[in-house]
Amino acid sequence: MNSETLNTLDSYSKNKYKYGFVTEIDDEKPKKGLNEDTIKFISLKKNEPKWMLDWRLKAYSKWKKIKEPKWANLSFPEIDYQNIYYYSAPKGFEKKPKDLSEVDPKLIETYNKLGIPLEEQKVLAGVAVDVVFDSVSVATTYKGELEKLGIIFCSIGEAIQKHPDLIKKYLGSVIPPGDHSFSALNSAVFTDGSFVYIPEGVKCPMELSTYFRINAENTGQFERTLIIADKGSYVSYLEGCTAPKRDDNQLHAANVELIALEDAEIKYSTVQNWYPGDEDGKGGIYNFVTKRGLCAGKNSKISWTQVETGSAITWKYPSCILKGDNSIGEFYSVAITNNFQQADTGTKMTHIGKNTKSKIISKGISLGKSQNTYRGEVSFLRKADKARNYTQCDSLLVGNQCGAHTVPYIDSKNNTAVIEHEASTSKINEDQLYYCRQRGLSHEEAVSLIVNGFCKQVLQELPMEFAVEAQKLVSISLEGSVG
Amino acid sequence: MNIQDNYLKNKKNIFFSENKDIATHREKLINIFENDRFDKKNNESLKNLNLKNFIDFKYKYLIPEETSVINNNHENSYSIVSVNGQCSSFKDDKIEITKILDEDYNDFSKNDTIENNDHFVNLNSLFLNSGFKIVIKKNNNIKIKISNIITDDDLTIFQKNNYICEEGSSLDLIEEYENKNNSTSNILNVIKLEKNSQLNHFLIQDNSPNHNLIITTHSSCKKDSTYTQKVYNFSEGYVRNFHYTELIEANSEADLQGIFFLKDNNTSNNKTFVKHLAEDCKSNQVYKGILNDRSKATYFSNTHVDKVAQKTEGYQLSKGILLSDNASYFSKPELKIYADDVKCSHGSTIGPIDENAIFYLRSRGMSKIAATKILISSFINEELDSIDNEQMSEIIQKKLVRYLSKVK
Repeated sequence: MNSETLNTLDSYSKNKYKYGFVTEIDDEKPKKGLNEDTIKFISLKKNEPKWMLDWRLKAYSKWKKIKEPKWANLSFPEIDYQNIYYYSAPKGFEKKPKDLSEVDPKLIETYNKLGIPLEEQKVLAGVAVDVVFDSVSVATTYKGELEKLGIIFCSIGEAIQKHPDLIKKYLGSVIPPGDHSFSALNSAVFTDGSFVYIPEGVKCPMELSTYFRINAENTGQFERTLIIADKGSYVSYLEGCTAPKRDDNQLHAANVELIALEDAEIKYSTVQNWYPGDEDGKGGIYNFVTKRGLCAGKNSKISWTQVETGSAITWKYPSCILKGDNSIGEFYSVAITNNFQQADTGTKMTHIGKNTKSKIISKGISLGKSQNTYRGEVSFLRKADKARNYTQCDSLLVGNQCGAHTVPYIDSKNNTAVIEHEASTSKINEDQLYYCRQRGLSHEEAVSLIVNGFCKQVLQELPMEFAVEAQKLVSISLEGSVG
Repeated sequence: MNIQDNYLKNKKNIFFSENKDIATHREKLINIFENDRFDKKNNESLKNLNLKNFIDFKYKYLIPEETSVINNNHENSYSIVSVNGQCSSFKDDKIEITKILDEDYNDFSKNDTIENNDHFVNLNSLFLNSGFKIVIKKNNNIKIKISNIITDDDLTIFQKNNYICEEGSSLDLIEEYENKNNSTSNILNVIKLEKNSQLNHFLIQDNSPNHNLIITTHSSCKKDSTYTQKVYNFSEGYVRNFHYTELIEANSEADLQGIFFLKDNNTSNNKTFVKHLAEDCKSNQVYKGILNDRSKATYFSNTHVDKVAQKTEGYQLSKGILLSDNASYFSKPELKIYADDVKCSHGSTIGPIDENAIFYLRSRGMSKIAATKILISSFINEELDSIDNEQMSEIIQKKLVRYLSKVK
């Protein structure tokens, strides 16, 4: 690890300590609830220019008119948007644990099993981390090195100040604020997130990463990520999520926009491990995320990889709009649901340009009393000559209380486009289980091994740092539910 | 005209309008139409549909002058001509044909377990003006062929047929729909298969461009029974094939197959839905479509496996060939599974005819059109081969040749 990183981190932690001693007044949160004042408060706190505030207010007025989407195979109580804090900044240590001994031991156990101590950023050596604690991005490392290449990697708040042209041009260009109610909500109240710009012809030498944590209670997290890969560039971006245990349900409505220009490639990997609620289905994160990538230029490529193990409710469809000719969209997903979790996740591939290709591999595993749905749409528009899609979605059921569902939408308007879709649902193969048991593995180990094998096609798409973590995460998710 | 006025005006020649229970149920249906209307956005099954024709229709029904004929030409074989959806009564020791009665109205019309608010089924219940009931008696093995004739232009037929296959019986049912006039038929078939019975159901649809055909089948299978359905749609007019099966007792089977051939501006909506409610059941859903010119089709398939339905095998396959730039095909093969010891899968493909195969045939001296035709025939060959009824197979072949002659 280079000294610059350490210095940044050290100075940050010291500062926070000091800050913690002096700040006792709790004026960092606006009042609960969503109204124009909340939005103005956020905008003021972040010292935003007027055009940004107007943009937010416009999105808010749209949000008021749009109803929540109801088509997903999910059941949850109505979200009370007026009972949520929309902004919360770290105010020092009065609420945060001083050291590991104060942290929930269950959480630490999980971290240890994953091989990532709480001091995440110091361990993930060689990875530039933009840490988001609640709503404010607190440290961005490796900045210098990236700057030399002309890469911009900063919080979106900073980008609004420093690169307004890029923001004005691209923010909301892939996910219009009025797209649906969660995108409108996010556009109105987003607090932070990452901004990445890779200039023409630059291959980003390292994996960029953000680690999100929802820390404060009753706080919705609305981050907004915008990644722009200019002509001929390449970037791989990692996103990890964890949240501490709370009894209340928390809302998380993020928007992620990717734009790949001519010959550019973006690889976006997520390991989502938000708190899923306890064994009785109490608490947990409501995860309503909109992720969308636009392959704007010729020969561009966007690849989504996700491992979804957390959240009480997952509503997430990372999608690709394949506009440029010869562009490629990929989607690899593992979704594991346990206890009372509900996941409705999948993707959307919209083929507009000629010779566009897309590939979807989705693996769903349901345990306990959970419901796991794959929902994906593949559409070929009239001009998508010679477009090609391959979809495979497999589901595995463990136990007879859970459900696995597959809902693909396939729409072809072009007679030279070829689409193939296959899906299967089954339980764990008894023969495989028997074989593993015979060789001395416990039932739990055997199931874990088989499930890992089932997911391998997706896990191998993850960058090294994540692959190990994800594999362990899969094993942890299965714990206590089999045998 | 709005639906309520339409109903009140024509009440006198709608079945069971005097029955109080039915009248209350119909009031509810009218309310649904008033409040819900046809919401295309949230109802995918209404895709590509010109709804105006179906909501603001002019009600017209004629009671057939000539009663239909029932022939007992060979042993165990009957041919029925149903005129405007009606059929005269008949009885022997093997089958019994009667009019539908008030109590039959409740079968499925009131049953909303499969799908809430299928507007076309609701319309059928509301304007019901024809139909019959056929009972196949215990341990009999018979064949029935039904030709559906509509006598005049602009008729609106709302027909409900009940079929009951008693224990141990077996029925080969061939239904022909070949109408050349501008009418609309909305038909609801309710089929009950008792223990150890079997029904092979063939539907041949070949109507002229201005004839609309809406067929909904609801079948329920008891222990050890088998329901096989094969739909061949050569119609030039709009056809909606929605077929639901419930496997309610152990070891029953359902096989729903269909092939549709579309051209010009034609549209077709198709749906199959199998609900596994008992263990050890099998189901199979296979639809293939060939779309030419500006035609559009949708196919929804759905396998629902209940918690108790262990050891289920459920398969779905959907294949589409687009022959023209302007044709479009939408398919949604859905699996809903709540039991763990199951084998379920679905596959779906949409695309052009394989270019390599065309190249192979052309390099052997065949013209492009001839090659295309051969490949279309081979695409559905498996289904045609599986027809073990010779007469049927001939009819289908002829219609296929006619369709292929228009392919350029």
